[in-house]
Amino acid sequence: MEIKITITTKQILAVLQVISWILFLGLAVEAGGVICSVAYIMLTENGANNSWLGPELGRLYQADAGYFLAVTSYVCITSTFKALLFYLIVKILYEQKINMEQPFNRSLGNLISNMSYLSLGIGLFASGGVRYVKWLTKNGAALSDVAYSYLDGAHVWLFMGVILLVIGQIFKRGIEIQEEHELTV
Amino acid sequence: MAIVVNLDVMMAKRKMSLNELSEKVEITLANLSNLKTGKAKAIRFSTLDAICKALDCQPADILEYSKK
Repeated sequence: MEIKITITTKQILAVLQVISWILFLGLAVEAGGVICSVAYIMLTENGANNSWLGPELGRLYQADAGYFLAVTSYVCITSTFKALLFYLIVKILYEQKINMEQPFNRSLGNLISNMSYLSLGIGLFASGGVRYVKWLTKNGAALSDVAYSYLDGAHVWLFMGVILLVIGQIFKRGIEIQEEHELTV
Repeated sequence: MAIVVNLDVMMAKRKMSLNELSEKVEITLANLSNLKTGKAKAIRFSTLDAICKALDCQPADILEYSKK
């Protein structure tokens, strides 16, 4: 007895929408948590000992606020960009702008371009952040894997950014060809 | 674009409306309107053939190249 399973594009998009929502919510909570933790450490007396970011960053703040701000800026920016990236995906899936009959439309083209810029931004800031943390560690700061865990995978984001840039250029050409085809009588 | 479409001139000579022409040529009114107003980017030979048959004219009666 043969059982054939056919999965339509609509079903795939529905599953992707759910996964995107879950990832977006997780990343948004992470970004919000990082930003609030930074504010908590800076504004409260005991914040340095009890923050979500860990005791090492709290000790870094007590040692030098400038270094602390630099490290946490890298972490905040990469976390925010990651949340923004998935927000864009959730938005396009929610507004149902993916039309299989005319897939090459401006909104999808803009999505791919924006995703490529955000990925490149995440990669650059993560890479810069990792180098800065390594420099701080070399100069005596005791930073464990906490900072690295927010900033790792820079090369992956850079790779994805470059690939999306190329795909974005091809997509733009596809949009031009489709618009020309629509205006062919 | 330098190509000018003089479809309205030919339609006036043959006293044919856009609706009639779109039915004879089997093209949507929207597409024919795009062609008439110069918004179209390209025309298929099959479409040109059908329009010339319907209006009993030559392609040069409908299409003109203007250097402006």
